[in-house]
Amino acid sequence: MRLIKQNIERKTGEGSAVLLPEEPEDLWHAYNLIRPNDLLRASAIRKVISESGSGSRSNERVHTTLTIRVTKLDFDPQAAQLHVSGRVAEENKHVKLGSFHTLDLELQRNFTLEKAEGWDSVALDTLKEAVNQDAKVQLWAVIMKEGLANICLVTDHQTILRQKIESNLPRKRAGSTEHEKQMQKFFQTTFDSLLRQLDLANPKPLLLASPAYTATHFQSFIKAQAASGTNKGLRELLPKITVAQSASGHLHSLNEVLSSPAVTAKLSDTKFARETQLVDHFFTLIRKADNRAWYGPRESEKAVEQGAVGKGGGVLLISNGLFRSQEIEVRKRWVKLVDEVKEQGGEVRVLSSMHESGRRLESLGGVAVICTWPIEDLDDGEVEEEDEVHENGEVDEAWHENGDGHGIEGRVEHVEDIDFA
Amino acid sequence: MQRVKNVDYDEDELYDDDDEYGEEAETYSQEDRGNFAALTPVVRAELEEVGLQASDKEIQDALWNYYWDVAKAVTYLKNNRTPKPQQQTLKKQERPKSKFDEAAERSAKGLGESGLSFRILSCLAWCGRCWSVQDEEVGHVVKIIVESPSDGSEGTPCMLPPRDWFRDVPWTLPPETQGHLVPAAPVYRPRLLGGSSKLAKPTEERGKKLATAGVEESSADGASSSLDHPTKPKEPKENEAPLTVGEPRNSQRSEKREPKPPPSSGLEEEKPDLRAQPTAFARTLSARPTPDTLPAAMSFLNLLASERSEDPFKGPSPDGTVTKAQNRSKGMTKRPLANKTQALKLDPTSTQATQPKVRSKGLDVPRLWAEERARRKPSAAFVVIGHVDHGKSTLMGRLLLDVGAVSQRDIDKYQKQASEMGKASFALAWVMDTSAEERERGVTFDFAQHHFSTPKADFTILDAPGHRDFVPNMIGGASMADMAVLVVDANQLDSGMKGQTREHILLAKAVGLKKVVVAINKLDAATPPWSQQLFESVQTDIKPLLATSGFADEDIKFIPCSGLAGTNVVNPPKPSSPAAWIPKSHFTLLQALERSIPTPAKLTTTAAAAHELLKQPLRMQIIDVFRGSITNPLSIAGRIASGTVQIGDLVMIQPSGEKAAVKALDVSDEPRDYAVVGQICTLHLSDIEAQHLRSGDVVCASQHPVRVAKSCTVLIEVLEALLPQPVDVHFGRLHVPGRISQLVETVDGKGEQLKRRPKVLKAGQRARVRVGFEEGVPLVVGERVVLRSAGVTAAYGRME
Repeated sequence: MRLIKQNIERKTGEGSAVLLPEEPEDLWHAYNLIRPNDLLRASAIRKVISESGSGSRSNERVHTTLTIRVTKLDFDPQAAQLHVSGRVAEENKHVKLGSFHTLDLELQRNFTLEKAEGWDSVALDTLKEAVNQDAKVQLWAVIMKEGLANICLVTDHQTILRQKIESNLPRKRAGSTEHEKQMQKFFQTTFDSLLRQLDLANPKPLLLASPAYTATHFQSFIKAQAASGTNKGLRELLPKITVAQSASGHLHSLNEVLSSPAVTAKLSDTKFARETQLVDHFFTLIRKADNRAWYGPRESEKAVEQGAVGKGGGVLLISNGLFRSQEIEVRKRWVKLVDEVKEQGGEVRVLSSMHESGRRLESLGGVAVICTWPIEDLDDGEVEEEDEVHENGEVDEAWHENGDGHGIEGRVEHVEDIDFA
Repeated sequence: MQRVKNVDYDEDELYDDDDEYGEEAETYSQEDRGNFAALTPVVRAELEEVGLQASDKEIQDALWNYYWDVAKAVTYLKNNRTPKPQQQTLKKQERPKSKFDEAAERSAKGLGESGLSFRILSCLAWCGRCWSVQDEEVGHVVKIIVESPSDGSEGTPCMLPPRDWFRDVPWTLPPETQGHLVPAAPVYRPRLLGGSSKLAKPTEERGKKLATAGVEESSADGASSSLDHPTKPKEPKENEAPLTVGEPRNSQRSEKREPKPPPSSGLEEEKPDLRAQPTAFARTLSARPTPDTLPAAMSFLNLLASERSEDPFKGPSPDGTVTKAQNRSKGMTKRPLANKTQALKLDPTSTQATQPKVRSKGLDVPRLWAEERARRKPSAAFVVIGHVDHGKSTLMGRLLLDVGAVSQRDIDKYQKQASEMGKASFALAWVMDTSAEERERGVTFDFAQHHFSTPKADFTILDAPGHRDFVPNMIGGASMADMAVLVVDANQLDSGMKGQTREHILLAKAVGLKKVVVAINKLDAATPPWSQQLFESVQTDIKPLLATSGFADEDIKFIPCSGLAGTNVVNPPKPSSPAAWIPKSHFTLLQALERSIPTPAKLTTTAAAAHELLKQPLRMQIIDVFRGSITNPLSIAGRIASGTVQIGDLVMIQPSGEKAAVKALDVSDEPRDYAVVGQICTLHLSDIEAQHLRSGDVVCASQHPVRVAKSCTVLIEVLEALLPQPVDVHFGRLHVPGRISQLVETVDGKGEQLKRRPKVLKAGQRARVRVGFEEGVPLVVGERVVLRSAGVTAAYGRME
């Protein structure tokens, strides 16, 4: 994303920024930047119905620039589309004030964003990160086991599941080669779908991960294809393939893979690898029953209140999903927390909810802290029973919202929750 | 086509024949008469064999039309005499009018308005026989047609003068003598006599659909609707006259073009007592129009037009009706089932389609099972567990060889192949490790299944993989077993204790196994060989592990053995060997197995209790989906967790919710009529697509489907610290990604709450957690669950 122009007042945070999204990932940043009640100005196509004096109506599609006050955002990471709905805040000759419009933010088209509540520190950080033009790392990963392959694109801020291939493999049985045949077929399908996703002209690193030998076999399958086929690009891809072990073929195993030594050696300086390591570190601490690690909104806030997340190792892990809350108050609460930790000299990590590490964090309530000293009994919050229940409900919601579909974030699907007890 | 030879008959002769028509329907040459004389008795004899009577005339007729083919003539006569002639006729007329159909019809009728070549063809065919049935009285009508421009007969190079084309065509007012000649028309497609056609099925289905829609159809309707069928494919630009005339004319023509049954024609007039019922079509055609409907051509056309406006196929097809009636009478046993299906399914039309084609024998399985109980040998499935390379597969290969389930020849063959690969010591393991990959790497990937019998019992071996990456497969295998055989390499104890020996013991407990036989293997390779001391030290190391996992002392048996050498597996060691101490205090592996067979814990003590278990609704987890054979293209295997299944049962597969019929079933590779709880069986399914079946799905009785849920509460024993986090969830063979969404509470041994909403679960705690899934999962209350995370078993427990 390019920052075309900005006139943000440092102190008050007032002002606006003109941004130019250049690649799909930028829309993800935009999704994190734009909040309800903000003013968004972008080009739009609107159908205008005009009625002539004689009463005949005519439809016209008009290209115009609209300013809306945002009410709702809808992000589809797979198609990389961001739809922003809102009410028109500036009248023009085609559109009346207060009428509704949904802007589809497009690549290579400027949009202007003005924050309703001013640009807070988190928003500014997001903006900074968004306009960072450093070379962005991207890699393709295939997490597989026999009969299942997840093809996903891992970028700095997102893990997008592009395709899931499932096939039914018959078990080995004496005198039957059916298993081998089906295995070859499964590899072929996976390979074909992978090729459809990859841009061979500009190959990115490809990570193959599986338990046991499936990934190795798949690698030799690709090699065989490259050797026999006429596809030259494929040969260039070969040296970019890394094979790693994962505990299972499911997508959440990507975590282990990204933090495994074989992979970190190659990709150590990427944001997602750092995030993964941090979350791993947190999990290790909490498993050790070391009282320095706490998770959950209430506990984290308490820890920060006590000044435990400060200089010398204090880390606040927070999922950016929390900042996307529709309620301004909720967002303010987290921004306040972040600011406090920064003041105390602690480290703040905003994890992308679109990465596996972010997902892990979200299942913990979206926020966790590593304190500089052990704190006992942070969770003595039995008094505020109801409040806690409410929070847990929130967590559940977050899980439903993000847990299904791997990346249809923002599209809340109503998951039928059948109680089994 | 045979008749084409007659083309060179001169016209005079033709006319002669025509003239004779009034007195006798057909005239035969001398040669023909001879043939008749010779063949008629033969046909008659054939017919009498099946108890049918036929007049000379009919037989001759048949022979004539089949050109002396006795077999065909007999078949035709037989068909003609079957009790449902009317239905057969209707059947033909009820065929769907596909394009193909229409085209075939048109060519058969010789309607081809424009095709000159076709005209020639039909002309040739026509010339051969047209003389045989002619009628002078139609002459005046013929003229009209001849003059009509659309009829291209004038220009055709035909031996007949144009007017003879239509010589025998009964026009709108058939003369009385010819009244019954017309009915020949319905046989325009004689090949369909048998009622078999690719199109029969769609017709039937459509019929069923309509039948369920409740449209009633009288036979009269069918008959009249049949009318418009043969006359239908006409171009609108065609003149009216040929339109009406087309049908009888063409039917005659087609008659010549291929062997076909004779028209149930005017000949029959002479012997009315023997004559078959005229078809509905015939009756309609031969019905004399009342004089005031003249001009007849017009009225006929009107009739056609009026008929055409109706949908001739709105009623059920006769096939459908018959099938329905048959189902009603014979399908009593499965009728209730079908009804239930209907109740479950919203779409009534699909109900019939899912109705099993295989008939259930309606066995009272629990009773049969109880009756057979006394005669049965005890049986058990055991899973072989242990760390990788501790010799599980080899030990099992040895066991199978020594009990005679595998021949020495096979082993020798493996031995040779294995030596070529430089892995001679793996030969025995190859009995279990059948896939090329496994043999190459010398590691079991997926659990193998093998049956064997001893005089005392039947066993199923489930040889689990020991490698940590294949633990999911091991869980799948263990969940099918009744007991476990833990193989421990006496020389490599440490690797196992840290690795999968420990994990497998936990998992065996987790899936609910109670008895375990510990085979302390590779004692021959110890230093010194067969050291009793070593055996005992290993025993003392393993025992606490088993005890802490919850195995009772009396359920554990320790066996010293060597899989590779075969010592103390089936045969006890010789007294002279250093292992001579073994028989004094220990059983052989096989003896230990026979003694460990759980008194089918699940079919417990009292017969009544066993009976109850059998009566529960069917539950079976699919372990494998495969192509059984050519006759059984879709088969599934698994262990029945509750209830019974028999051939013909309608089962439901969850989570897909699709239904399937059990076409056949095998237990221990032998076909059976039924299978009961605890047995490992193979079901051959029909009426379902393979895409609806996956390993890990649950087969259940269609009336009592398993629920599919996206979250559940699990009571777990924690082995590794747990947070709300993503986990791999294993239910037997099913292996799905899920996540712990909430730590509900920790509980003590009695299930009393210790702490509400703990922040973290520590190893050794017992807790209740909520687990969510990305996709719906078929869940059974009380089912055993294993949670794994990052390649380690983190917890196990039961669904609540």
